[in-house]
Amino acid sequence: MNFELTEEQNLIRDMVRTFAETEVAPSADERDEQESFDRDLMFARLADLGLTGIVFPEEYGGAGADYLSYAIAVEELSRVCASTGVTLSAHLSLGSNPIYLFGSDEQKKQFLTPLALGDAMGAFGLTEPSAGSDAGGTKTTAVLDGDEWVVNGNKIFITNAGEADIYIVFARTDKNAEKHHGISAFIVEKGAPGFSFGKKEKKMGIRSSPTMELVFENCRIPKGNLLGEEGQGFKVAMKTLDGGRIGIASQALGIAQGALDATTQYVTEREQFNKPISVFQGVQFQLADMVTQVEAARLLVYNAAYRASAGLSYSQESAMAKLFASETAMKLTTQAVQLHGGYGYTRDFPVERMMRDAKITEIYEGTSEIQRVVIGACLTR
Amino acid sequence: MKLLVCIKQVPDMESKFKIDSDGVWYDQSDLAWRMNEYDEYGVEQAVQLKEQSGADLTVLCIGPDQVKETMKKALAMGCDRGVHIADDMSCLRDPFEIATIIAEFARDKDFDMVFTGMQSQDRGSGQVGVMVAEMLAIPAVTTIVDFAFDDGTIKMKRELEGGVRAEVEASLPLLVTCQLGLNTPRYPTLPNIMKAKKKELLSIDAQELCKASGLQKTVKMSFPEKSSGGLMLEGEVADIADRLIAALKEKTSIFA
Repeated sequence: MNFELTEEQNLIRDMVRTFAETEVAPSADERDEQESFDRDLMFARLADLGLTGIVFPEEYGGAGADYLSYAIAVEELSRVCASTGVTLSAHLSLGSNPIYLFGSDEQKKQFLTPLALGDAMGAFGLTEPSAGSDAGGTKTTAVLDGDEWVVNGNKIFITNAGEADIYIVFARTDKNAEKHHGISAFIVEKGAPGFSFGKKEKKMGIRSSPTMELVFENCRIPKGNLLGEEGQGFKVAMKTLDGGRIGIASQALGIAQGALDATTQYVTEREQFNKPISVFQGVQFQLADMVTQVEAARLLVYNAAYRASAGLSYSQESAMAKLFASETAMKLTTQAVQLHGGYGYTRDFPVERMMRDAKITEIYEGTSEIQRVVIGACLTR
Repeated sequence: MKLLVCIKQVPDMESKFKIDSDGVWYDQSDLAWRMNEYDEYGVEQAVQLKEQSGADLTVLCIGPDQVKETMKKALAMGCDRGVHIADDMSCLRDPFEIATIIAEFARDKDFDMVFTGMQSQDRGSGQVGVMVAEMLAIPAVTTIVDFAFDDGTIKMKRELEGGVRAEVEASLPLLVTCQLGLNTPRYPTLPNIMKAKKKELLSIDAQELCKASGLQKTVKMSFPEKSSGGLMLEGEVADIADRLIAALKEKTSIFA
């Protein structure tokens, strides 16, 4: 068993960290404050660096790297800005990966290549007002009319919405089928007739990442935009989310590491009772627990990513990684604010933003409760 | 045209430095490693010249096996091939030995240009580049902060005291030592990191090239003794301000 990263993975971490610290971090607080998405920085620059297609083969415009390299990239971006981390994660593992996994060669050429090159941004529309954790409850419909599918319904809480050019959308194509079997996946391009955007959510955290509603009113898309087979949509969604969890687990890991780094620096500089507070055992014990938890989360996340690249099963591993990393991120950022005292509660220090950003990692791409359902089912089936 | 860029792997400057038990070099056990920052500017300039002229670019690095990771970064930035001079003891060699090894390798290769950093961040002797030039009997222009190549002529700016720049021209063959700020080193993009894996990386044993022994040796390394603590000024603000200005005038050149 080998816990060493490869030379390439080390170089990728080094490159993404340098980029994140010099280009992404300086504007993170301001973008959060203004709830603004900076496409040039948060997507076009990622494309310049070859990050938008990390795991896809070169023939489709990707870099041909492994899933662990992708996890490291999301981790390093999220260490300084969780919004940038989730932009990449939603684009790559939710918006692009289903086309790689289930698309025809033609669909890969037409849609995956621009996504991997970063000429187009991806997003994923599964959640509906009455279908969150229960994806089988999808009410959006798609009906074949001649050479086109006609889509009606709406999707909510969609990351990258409005900005993304290509959306993976799930709709019910068979009303009579059992609830999980009547759903199909579609590729919808921004600008399709009848496709518009609803309200932009005002969020607690990841405020620099746009979250909007997708609205389909007699939206017409080409027949060939069906992704995978008709009725296979639930499988497409679940397979996609298995991989997506690694992205969010990496985002959570990055947030936790960022909070730990900020806190370690703060407690060694902050003096009380004429000493840096880092010399007090009460503080040292907390730091010890924090770093131990971050390292445990990292091993779970990297293991899930390794298994995904090695072609091994990883549903349970990615659920465990996402569950543990997101709960670690929430716990550590709360502790980081506490160790910063009153300063930590202000927006002058980044831990305040990190604590707000961490919460969503316990909710999206499967709540912590759903992760436990997945893990439990894997154990007992 | 054939280009050579010489790089060194150095400890990350944010590492916690300790002196090893022999007392003549850093304890390397807990250090993180990266490319010497000055050399990154050298690599970038060499890659830019390669892109401009279609030249062939070799990157050279001396050290143990772990330096290959740093060489991969140079390859990912655009160097065509790597030459690794395998040497576990390179950190103990003096600048003359290091220069001898590089010159011995380069002697019969007809490089038109050699790029090095102005100095290394760890030992900082600043001697290797100029000694290599001397051994190869080619001119060396040091501390360059600007570089332009036009039809065989190199126009450079050198950084002098007080922010003054000297414009210097030279023709090939030439060695330059690169100062920080010469250019903006590019990020090795992810696809280029993956491609770097496939580039040629030649290994040569340092013993084959080291034809000289050192001319100097480090006898002892130590941290400076802690000087007395800072000056504490107490009292009324206006009074403190006056005393602070007086102290700054006396002890520093801030108001000079």
